Amino acid sequence: MDLIKTENLDKTYSDNGVPVEALKDINLSFERGEFTVIAGPSGSGKTTLLNVIGALDKPTNGKIFLEGSDITIKKRKELSALRLNKFGFVFQAYNLIPVLSAIENIEFSMMLLGIPESERRSKALSLLDELEIKDLAYKRPNEMSGGQQQRVAVARAIVNDPEIVFADEPTANLDSVTGGKLLDLMEKMNRDKNITFIFSSHDNQVIERAKRLILLRDGKLDLK
Amino acid sequence: MLIKIAWRNIWRNKRRSIIVLSSVIVGIVAAICMDALQNGMLYQMLFNQINLSTSHIQIHKNGFIDNKIVQNTIPDNNAAEQAAIENEHVSFYSKRVITFGLISSANNSSGIFLFGVDPELEKNVSIIISSVVKGKYFETGIREVLIGTTLSEKLQVDIGDKIVCMANMKDGSIGSDVFRVIGIFRSPDSEYNKAYIYVPITDAQNMLELGAEYHELAIITKDYHFAPQAADEIESKLGERFEVLSYDEVLPLLVMQLDMYKEMIYVINFIIGLALIFGIINAMLMAVYERTQEIGVLMAIGMKNGKIVNMIVLEAFLIGLLGTIIGVVLGWVLYKGVLINGIDLSSFAESLDSFGIGAILYPKLSMENLISLLLTIPLISIIGAFYPAYRAVKLQPVTAIRHV
Ligand SMILES: Nc1ncnc2c1ncn2[C@@H]1O[C@H](COP(=O)(O)OP(=O)(O)OP(=O)(O)O)[C@@H](O)[C@H]1O
Ligand SMILES: [Mg+2]
Repeated sequence: MDLIKTENLDKTYSDNGVPVEALKDINLSFERGEFTVIAGPSGSGKTTLLNVIGALDKPTNGKIFLEGSDITIKKRKELSALRLNKFGFVFQAYNLIPVLSAIENIEFSMMLLGIPESERRSKALSLLDELEIKDLAYKRPNEMSGGQQQRVAVARAIVNDPEIVFADEPTANLDSVTGGKLLDLMEKMNRDKNITFIFSSHDNQVIERAKRLILLRDGKLDLK
Repeated sequence: MLIKIAWRNIWRNKRRSIIVLSSVIVGIVAAICMDALQNGMLYQMLFNQINLSTSHIQIHKNGFIDNKIVQNTIPDNNAAEQAAIENEHVSFYSKRVITFGLISSANNSSGIFLFGVDPELEKNVSIIISSVVKGKYFETGIREVLIGTTLSEKLQVDIGDKIVCMANMKDGSIGSDVFRVIGIFRSPDSEYNKAYIYVPITDAQNMLELGAEYHELAIITKDYHFAPQAADEIESKLGERFEVLSYDEVLPLLVMQLDMYKEMIYVINFIIGLALIFGIINAMLMAVYERTQEIGVLMAIGMKNGKIVNMIVLEAFLIGLLGTIIGVVLGWVLYKGVLINGIDLSSFAESLDSFGIGAILYPKLSMENLISLLLTIPLISIIGAFYPAYRAVKLQPVTAIRHV
């Protein structure tokens, strides 16, 4: 069974009363273990697609099946639990919690799952070690570089062993060397832990590494 | 962990938090001072009355309190004194002859209340001895009179001068006697300075032809809280012919005022809380607005609405609690360091005397108020955070994350 399958997804925004069709008739499916990049020019609907599949936003029309069950009919609370248990997110602007240190940011996600404190700490430490940022454990986001913050963000996204990690332009704010290293890391997590990654990007470096490439143009799939 | 986040969030916008914190602190300190003054004033009024003449318990002939005629003397002195001595709560008592009459000097005359007191016993029961500002307390106990400052001015008499006192005797005819002014007192209650005189009890009994009879046995208990209970015990022992009244029955208005004030504290604290709540709502709304994007991210990674509400409410609660604790400590220090020594109100004393307060006001902190503040203000902070928290969870994750 597909991990995720979309059926005729549409998303129309209303921009001050003017309808903007951001997604049109998207039919896609993703399987476990994918390392997929959604690419397309600016404004083509990449972020919108990730948000809709990631249960952050509702489609205007269409269905999304996660392991066979339709998530578009789920309540807000259920979606919140779904995101916590099954999804991980990496944002372009890192978006760590500024008042928490690196290790606390990672622990925070586990806390939301109700994992006891002692377990949190050791798991967060071993993950920091794996991502080669152990020495950053007690630094706050504003004491870290962008690349370092994004590594912590990746750690936060994968710590609860999600089915899928959604990463919206994760390298856009990073230089190519740093971005490359971050991609190495995510490739490793994909390989070693079989975590599914779905990116959006128009960064060639990212697109080159994609095992599968999905092209968007004006909200539609570009199937050539 | 939520507490940790809430606490750190407080210090992200230091200036805003300190403003809110200061307003809480100022509110609390003001509430403590206002209460200590008001409470002190009411207790002072009550204790001044108790110490001037009311005492804790009065034993009379039944009906005396409503009809203070000279004939209404205690029906059985021994029984009354015995009942007082035997009660475990009683520590002192004093016998008093009480009547009203006329006092005249060479220059003027005035209506007065006359107290005939036992010079030794009265020392333990009332503050009249310590109120003497000129001359002295009874010396020989023969034909001596203590009068108030205002009365001495009106009669134009001084220490050593003679005055004539007239009053109804037991048989209805007029008795009179000459007394020498031995002391002039200034009490905290201007009524006493104007219209009360004290003479030795034996002189009073002679003048009124009372023999050994008297009108009142005034009792001081070890702890005034037990006065009503002790009064009941004594009354049941003495029976119908006597009336035994505790201070709260003699001064119902003052006691009622005090009781009412104790309820007012909650109203006052509520009003202070109401003034503070808007500051808290405002600060938390700003905090939520500033952290819109962050809240969106928290939602995205699966933080439930309940937890987001908790986080925001906790932040407000911690500010409120911190402010309350600092305010209570400051208020306490201010109270212990300054207020407790009394505030000299001599410049307003004229008007305050007529309320029976006195020239120096001794504020008194009430535990009820401290506890009420400790509970109310943090609770109010929580309530103040509800609307901002509601606004936070109303956010859509996507729009919140896009927010800059
Ligand atoms: N909240 C919104 N309200 C109105 N229009 C929106 C909203 N979000 C996106 N859009 C519009 O929808 C279209 C798709 O936007 P989206 O952000 O998904 O594109 P994108 O491919 O991620 O672009 P970029 O590469 O610039 O991030 C754009 O035309 C955009 O202006
Ligand atoms: Mg985008």
